Amino acid sequence: MEFSGLSIEIILNTLQQLIPLILAILVGVILLEVGLYLLLARVIKTKHALPYTLLAPAMIALIVFMMYPLAFNVLLAFSNLERGTFACYSPVSLGACELDHLYGLDYAIQNFSDVFFRLRDGEIVGWGRLLRTADSTFPVLLGRTVLWTVTNVIFHFSIGMALAIIMNQKIRFKGIYRALIVIPWAIPAVIVGLTWRQEFHVQYGFVNTLITGLGGQAISWLDEPVAAFIAVIFVNVWLGVPFYMIMLLGGMQSIPTDYYEAANIDGASSWQRFNSITMPLLKPIIIPAVTLDVIWTFNKLDVIFLVTGGGPSESTNILVSALYNAAFGPAATTELGFAAAFSIIIFIILFIFALVWITTSGGLKEIYDR
Amino acid sequence: MSTQTTANPAQSLASLSEGGYKRIRQYAAAVLAVGGLVLTVINGFSFGYLILGLWLGLLIWKPLHGILVFYSAISVYPILRVVSISLRPTESLLSRSLDIIPPGATLSSFVELFQEEEFLKWLWNSFSITITVSTIGVVIAATGAYAFSRWRFPGRRPLLIFLLTTQMLPASMLLIPIYVIVAQLNLTNNVIGLVLAYTSTAVPFSIWILKGYYDTIPPDLEEAGMVDGCTRMEAFYRIILPLSTPALSIVFLFNFLASWSEFIVAKVILQANTVMTWPLGLNELIGTFNTDWGKYAAGSVIVTIPVLLLFLWQSKYLISGLTLGSVKG
Repeated sequence: MEFSGLSIEIILNTLQQLIPLILAILVGVILLEVGLYLLLARVIKTKHALPYTLLAPAMIALIVFMMYPLAFNVLLAFSNLERGTFACYSPVSLGACELDHLYGLDYAIQNFSDVFFRLRDGEIVGWGRLLRTADSTFPVLLGRTVLWTVTNVIFHFSIGMALAIIMNQKIRFKGIYRALIVIPWAIPAVIVGLTWRQEFHVQYGFVNTLITGLGGQAISWLDEPVAAFIAVIFVNVWLGVPFYMIMLLGGMQSIPTDYYEAANIDGASSWQRFNSITMPLLKPIIIPAVTLDVIWTFNKLDVIFLVTGGGPSESTNILVSALYNAAFGPAATTELGFAAAFSIIIFIILFIFALVWITTSGGLKEIYDR
Repeated sequence: MSTQTTANPAQSLASLSEGGYKRIRQYAAAVLAVGGLVLTVINGFSFGYLILGLWLGLLIWKPLHGILVFYSAISVYPILRVVSISLRPTESLLSRSLDIIPPGATLSSFVELFQEEEFLKWLWNSFSITITVSTIGVVIAATGAYAFSRWRFPGRRPLLIFLLTTQMLPASMLLIPIYVIVAQLNLTNNVIGLVLAYTSTAVPFSIWILKGYYDTIPPDLEEAGMVDGCTRMEAFYRIILPLSTPALSIVFLFNFLASWSEFIVAKVILQANTVMTWPLGLNELIGTFNTDWGKYAAGSVIVTIPVLLLFLWQSKYLISGLTLGSVKG
């Protein structure tokens, strides 16, 4: 008996795989906690026995699922793993391997330098070509990433702030507006991306139908570099506004109205009220929100991947989407060693930025102070 | 704005003339609305003019509502379009019409989706993977987050910073090694492989959110319990865990929403298309060689409705959870 590809057999088969996994983890967690507690409290007698015990399952999971893969990623940057050499790195022998060593400094030098420039026979051949087209080099991608991040954050913030200010007035149907405006946040990202890709279609998408209906010229959004970049930015702005609106509105509602009443008595204009009451009091919300948004936007892969795939001719690639394409994308030859090195460089850039920004702005300070 | 301006006598004079101004705006709005209606009738009932007229009228009459209606429309319209396309009969799938309820609306795309594609199987794969990941995330994170929230132990600060740093990793930085590991374990094209990949991001995220919730439960509660003779462990299991069932369910929900609609990782791990989750299946439907808009839209509607309802129903908790976990700490 089968309906729409699903049969009892398939259900049982999946359950047979997954239920033992869940049970094993559950039993493992309990045994680990009991055993470790007895060991720490009775044998070693440390005063931190209880917190360490409670922390153990999470720590083991972090080591297995986070730290080990990250360390492995560093190791991969010292490897020559690509589609052609996959057999060499597989634990089961898959066939002949032509490499004389699997990991080495020479590979690392090759991988890391490939990010910035191509070395051919000891000579530098210009900036590295990360993908196929000549101009998708590191500085171009970095510049586009910065442009992408800054544009998105500015639009997110200003539109979110404008909506929050309006919603903070005494206005009817507030709940309905709020629910409607939040919707982009709630829709699964795949559907958002794929749907917008359709809607930017030159012939059938509603964007062009609207433009021509208002007397404009149809634009082939996904075939022209500048238009495609505007399209992906538009989609990401559309996605990001609700987060700001909700955060800022929540913050505004917690500002006591007395401040505004006092300002009114002093005859403050609405701009003065905004600039000297709302903004400073919202700072503890704005700075962490902007910090998170910068990090999220810098790393935002799915919108670009789904709407343009980095195209046309890699003109909408930012660093992370170029990285994905280099590792798994259709345009690449699965150069995993190079991609691992590339990913480390991207992470270092973001990390340095975050460190400088967080220390200078004092954002996220509360997080580890508590 | 106008509610705050009455305190000043000079301003209340201004608001008198504002009354006349208001009436002019009302007339202008009415003219625009009627104009839209007339244009609609002249142009053979194309309701675009009516909508434009009504909206311009609203913008003049009540500017704030005008702006909010405009932005709400931008937020909702693409979604309504998907619903509309899912109801179109096959022959007008590629029509350029902007109507929300298409002429000759039919459910045939929904029927075809189930009959011609393995949609139910995709849903089942996504569902079973998602439930497993969410359960594992909650089980592993629950006690650890409590430790982070209540004790100051050596190593706490570096660990919290590490957790924060994991949020900065480019997705591919984890995906590359996990793909290689999963491939080496021979678990590609297997639900277990995808569960392992998702767990790696679910665990730090769950700890982070849960810690935020435990921080809001006052420690007095367990202290009271311990005065009454509980050990710390008993206090945790008898007092804190029952109190944090809403938090645990929210974390479950967060993980559920995140892995339910995950696409990028699934595409890498499940390359052979023998096992597919619904995002992969829907992508396949409008991939390079296929453009089954109708079936794609029908599938999107089916998977989005429960997520949307869940989100709106729980939005208060979801949003406060997100802000607690990620911003206020």
